[in-house]
Amino acid sequence: MKEFETEDYRDMEKKFSVAGEDHRKIPVPEEMRARVEAGIARAETEKKKTAQKIGGFRIGMAAAAVAMLVILPNTGAGAAHAMGSLPVVGKLFQAVTFRDYRYESDRFDADVEVPKIQVEDMDDAESQNGEDTSGQLQETVEQINFDIEEVTNRLVEEFKKAADAGESYGSLDIHHETVTDNEQYFTLKLSLYQGAGSGYQSYKYYTIDKKTGKQVQIGDLFRTDSSYNEILSENIREQMRARMAEDEMKVYWVDYEEVPEWNFEKLKENQNFYFDGSENLVIVFDEYEVAPGYMGAQEFTVEKDVFEGLLK
Amino acid sequence: MWAKKDKDKGEAVRKVLLDNYESYYRLAFAYVHNEADAMDIVQEGAYRAMLKADDLREISFAGTWVYRIMINEAKGYLRKNRKETGELDENLAAEEVYRDIDLEKAVEKLPEAERTLIILRFYEDKQLSEIAEILQENLNTVKSRLYRVLRKLREELAEQT
Repeated sequence: MKEFETEDYRDMEKKFSVAGEDHRKIPVPEEMRARVEAGIARAETEKKKTAQKIGGFRIGMAAAAVAMLVILPNTGAGAAHAMGSLPVVGKLFQAVTFRDYRYESDRFDADVEVPKIQVEDMDDAESQNGEDTSGQLQETVEQINFDIEEVTNRLVEEFKKAADAGESYGSLDIHHETVTDNEQYFTLKLSLYQGAGSGYQSYKYYTIDKKTGKQVQIGDLFRTDSSYNEILSENIREQMRARMAEDEMKVYWVDYEEVPEWNFEKLKENQNFYFDGSENLVIVFDEYEVAPGYMGAQEFTVEKDVFEGLLK
Repeated sequence: MWAKKDKDKGEAVRKVLLDNYESYYRLAFAYVHNEADAMDIVQEGAYRAMLKADDLREISFAGTWVYRIMINEAKGYLRKNRKETGELDENLAAEEVYRDIDLEKAVEKLPEAERTLIILRFYEDKQLSEIAEILQENLNTVKSRLYRVLRKLREELAEQT
């Protein structure tokens, strides 16, 4: 091939200038604008559907909370304590609501319950293997509680600011639930919903290993040489494909050729997870993470026998 | 509020779509050479862009980001179409307004990635830096690829005459 000089570039540029001009003269059908608006509207309807799904739940919760306040104006910690107690052997782990915040106006509403993890007899208990892990446990619990406070405070402050300014509208819902409490693990689920126009739902799962007293991230469960991430991710991809084959309304970002960069690749270091009652591993994805917004948050249960051999 | 930010992003994407849809239509047309398919591509692209607006990292990227989605949509369409119906219809290209048919045909034969470069640079009149942003490539990579494609095209046109 001959050298390609600047002149040659200019030459080609000239050749293309005609083609380019023609291109910019391509007539655009009148219908095009309406079609773009239709595309936008479809996306917005889907987003709204998700918000309403969560929204319906939200309104129900708020109404229940109001009723409870009327009957028992002084609930809070006491009631939560009673409800949070679970008959387990060993140290008693529980999540109690230690602070709540409610707000209601025409366009703003908040229903916030901030939990705090408590461990009974934290000081004098000793762990199963004889080592004293209570110091470690105390530190872990304090750290998690601090994290919860920070996250929720930030959201409440933002909400208050928006409500004071009075522009547009907004809502904030924060709730918690103990999803796992077995011999080895305690998992607290924190659910955060922040809405304004389109809402955003996210979750945080805090898991404590009762034996070591440490907080557990998904990678801590498995041997470092186990390639657990590839195995779990592949299992999840298979489940996505199966769900899509079963129901054509379901869409996951898997094998998605049009925009390959949206495809689910692997679990994040801080991927949300918990163990269900049968000790299967449940992986949780926030909305938009592995599927379009209208699909909402997604859970995948990975059967115990898939990962058992990879555990530490 | 992060939701407020999301709302702003949605607004920005909507504005970009409504301000530039004619350009997206022509872009799609350059790939598929027919009105109905080009409109489908742009409508679907508008839907996807709006749905994923919250994922946009910064509002200032909205323009190039939507471009990228439209290009992906057009390429996806071509891929699907090729699988189902084989080659693109040659007659469609001939019917259209282009004057330099040889050049147009040579461009048509280019691999998708190279064709995209030509479309963006000469049809859509984008600067190299913008192209780099749209394709999320390094500026020098874009420059050297474009030179390579032009050289290839020139050789091809020289052979024909």
